[in-house]
Amino acid sequence: MKKSRKNNDKTSFLKEGFIDTISKNHTDYLGTIVPEGYFKKSKTAILDKIKSEVKENPVKEKQQLVFWMKPNIKYMVAASLVFIFGLTFWLQNANKKDDFSTTNFEILSFNEDYLMNSLLVDDAEFEALVDATLMNEIVIKAEVYERKMDALFINSLLVEDSLIDTYTEYFFLETIIL
Amino acid sequence: MNKEAVLVKKLKNATLKEVAFSELLDVYQERLYWHIRKIVITHENADDVLQNTFIRVYKSIANFQEKSSLHTWMYRIAYNESLRFLEKSNKKSYVHIDEVSSTHLEVLFEDVYFNGDEIQIKLNTIIASFTEKQKRVFQMKYFDDLSFRKISEILKISESTLKSIYYTTVKIIEEKILL
Repeated sequence: MKKSRKNNDKTSFLKEGFIDTISKNHTDYLGTIVPEGYFKKSKTAILDKIKSEVKENPVKEKQQLVFWMKPNIKYMVAASLVFIFGLTFWLQNANKKDDFSTTNFEILSFNEDYLMNSLLVDDAEFEALVDATLMNEIVIKAEVYERKMDALFINSLLVEDSLIDTYTEYFFLETIIL
Repeated sequence: MNKEAVLVKKLKNATLKEVAFSELLDVYQERLYWHIRKIVITHENADDVLQNTFIRVYKSIANFQEKSSLHTWMYRIAYNESLRFLEKSNKKSYVHIDEVSSTHLEVLFEDVYFNGDEIQIKLNTIIASFTEKQKRVFQMKYFDDLSFRKISEILKISESTLKSIYYTTVKIIEEKILL
């Protein structure tokens, strides 16, 4: 191909700016050319290649998801449900722990080895043990003895017992000391 | 609705896709070819990359989210495909990064589809001496006639930086071309 002498004037080269079409622009400034009829042939080649590619690997059209089925929304909903269940489970466990520790103290308070009991509980829970122990010793035991006294008197009314005086004295003493 | 939006809508429609794609080729084929050619140098390489670009566009158009214009999106695909091609060919020929520019010049001048005179050879030599960024900015602005805003979207560089790069390269060319 004959070389153009159009650009021999260095001072005016590039001054024109964008020339006509993009192909002419490239040819005139960069000297790069394309074969005759290239773009028409290229278009056909591209369309044919796409047809054969699509036949081999059909394009799976991405279905438009409904808003609440979008992955982001699903993840948020799942995370919220996990959080709610986790919170519910944790709260239930937190309550159970209190019940358990209360029951634990009640059981321990019936054991009269107070020194051993004090070793079995944490310092933070010691006060609760003391309260439970006092409750057991003063209130519960007193209630039990009072009921025994009542039972004794009722029995004595119904059945004559030669040892009634002895029992009465013993229980009277205990009740007074308590 | 502008022309581009209408075209995108047709491309996403399964029944109209084939016709719309042919229309797309008519509008963008030449522009994308030259954009690619300046990066991959030879006509043969540009032809390969252009085909790959349009195949990728065809397969991905359904997922095009229209956050940028169709034009910008396609330019970016073409740009990435060109870089991918260069990476592959540089790996094959074990060319050191410093030697890439001179190798590209050799390849350009030996290409059957290069018909440059003295001043065009000089211009190509000056452009080859630029950094990659300078090259792309100058070529997209001057030869592809893209606005700074479009170039910014394609190359992910701020407009102010682009302008600075562009005017620097223009100055260098003006000085060196007269030597």
